[in-house]
Amino acid sequence: MTIKTFKRSKKAALILMVPATTFTLASCVKHPDDEPALVYQTPEQCAQSGLSTKEQCEADYQQALALHPQTAPKYANKAECEADFGVGGCETAPQQSAQGGSFFMPLMMGYLAGQMFNRSGNQFTGNGPQAGDNKTGTKTTAGNTATQTRSNVASQPLYKSGDDRATYRTANNTAVSRTTGPVKVNPSRIKPQAGRLVPRGGFGKQASFRANSFGG
Amino acid sequence: MKRISIAERADWRNQAEAVGFDFHTIDGEPYWDESAYYQFSLAQIENDIEDPTAELHQMAVSLIDDIINSEQLLSQLDVPERYWNHVANSWRNSDPHLYGRMDLAYNGQGPAKLLELNYDTPTSLFETGYFQWIWLEQQIASGLLPATADQFNSLQDQLENAFKTLPFPTPLHFTSVLESAEDKGTVNYLMDIASQSGMDARYIPLENIGEYNGQFIDEENFEILGLFKLYPWEFMLREDFGQVVITSQTQMIEPPWKMLLSNKGILPLLWQRYTNHPNLLPAFFEENSENAANRPALEAGWVRKPLFSREGANVEIITDAGQALKEDGPYNDIATIRQAFCELPRFSRMNAQTKKTEDTYAVIGSWVVGDEPAGIGIREDNTLITKDSSRFVPHCIID
Repeated sequence: MTIKTFKRSKKAALILMVPATTFTLASCVKHPDDEPALVYQTPEQCAQSGLSTKEQCEADYQQALALHPQTAPKYANKAECEADFGVGGCETAPQQSAQGGSFFMPLMMGYLAGQMFNRSGNQFTGNGPQAGDNKTGTKTTAGNTATQTRSNVASQPLYKSGDDRATYRTANNTAVSRTTGPVKVNPSRIKPQAGRLVPRGGFGKQASFRANSFGG
Repeated sequence: MKRISIAERADWRNQAEAVGFDFHTIDGEPYWDESAYYQFSLAQIENDIEDPTAELHQMAVSLIDDIINSEQLLSQLDVPERYWNHVANSWRNSDPHLYGRMDLAYNGQGPAKLLELNYDTPTSLFETGYFQWIWLEQQIASGLLPATADQFNSLQDQLENAFKTLPFPTPLHFTSVLESAEDKGTVNYLMDIASQSGMDARYIPLENIGEYNGQFIDEENFEILGLFKLYPWEFMLREDFGQVVITSQTQMIEPPWKMLLSNKGILPLLWQRYTNHPNLLPAFFEENSENAANRPALEAGWVRKPLFSREGANVEIITDAGQALKEDGPYNDIATIRQAFCELPRFSRMNAQTKKTEDTYAVIGSWVVGDEPAGIGIREDNTLITKDSSRFVPHCIID
């Protein structure tokens, strides 16, 4: 008796490409790590809301403004920038490329800032930053139900893409809000990455005129 | 080797779309075509396809030492000079390679002839390794094919093994041009298999890759340790980030040395070294041919191919009978080679739309994973030039 050896795989299975039904719930789940923050176009708008002091609004805005040229996505030419952020949606970045050319970046359309909140509130119990964390900048102690603390959300500039003018996004293209006012975000997901001027799009230029597919 | 009509599985389109194989039909024309299958004997597969595939692969690899040590050959293959050391080092360091596909002309008897090596960015991987495999299992289950039917297709097993055993870094990033659904299909399948092998596989659109301090970085500014790129080396070297290829520590898959084998210039080099080998067609470099106006007229019985060309673009044929065919494309500014014309096997097929029979020509794509033959996928076209729109038709082995 001979044992037949097959010329084909013992199995051909997929785990990632299977129908995505199991993933659809994810976006509806309330994330326990979310913290409150504010989205405004100007510090005046922020101050008028009464959700933060005039001084704090101005300080947050200035911080975002300073980060803007550092964290905004950079493009080697204006057309590529406008392809993502719309015609008239880009400005020249202060940095220059090694070859002396200009970079382009989207206009800052608003800013995100942390908000004071009551740590003992039901929404954030146990999952917010711990009291005494040097980033909170407050003198709260754990368990003090009356104490206000500032959320761990870093102040930063916000942008709007050309094909979705409604949504405010961080420099890393994380959607934050569709309106101005209070929002809830996960601070660790939207840390601005300052000081990194990163050119992208250095591959793919021949994609536009060589073919539809690059395999063969 | 026979082409046999068979009933299609009633729900194959739903099955395809459920796993993201949306490009089964392109512009209303079938791309996946299971109205027929190709049938081989085991002897045909093992003696005429599998063994020659292993031998041709070894022959091609045997040329690399000579190429990287010859400025004349590197120039002839149009490798930019500033990358010569980099390419040579990737070979001397034994940078691991994953896969390739060679295209063969074979009509069921006599030696298969090597048409070309797609050793840098081969696609139709998912169609071959997965969808064709499922087709056979289901046709056996439905009784339309005998239980003893088999298929030359160990692609998934071998790829899974490659991801488990080759020294690839993890996380391993995978990239392709965002807008190409077909390329994404191949990348998705590779990522799926890599994940099943226990790797952390991550996708990044080619256009989003960044550079920082001479290193390639992902969308979160983390250094990319390993990058499977479904984008041709010859493009990468000539684009803005080309220089970063040299400075970065990113392990590229396919590695740089693979660009030497995917170059059509490998065909004349094979013929020089292994003249009259039964699986080779005569092939020659055309001197000073990078300008289309300088090229000598093609004679009957010859095919002209640019050094870099994919999906049949810019291929020119004059058959033995003098019939001329030409596929337009964007590779007019690239040096060319000439290869002897080889008649592809011709079959007749029923066109489901016109209800008429028509001629069709088949090419066998023979896969290599690492250095081992790993199965075949058959593409057929109504012309002698196989293109990205050419139909994929499944096959089986019945003895």
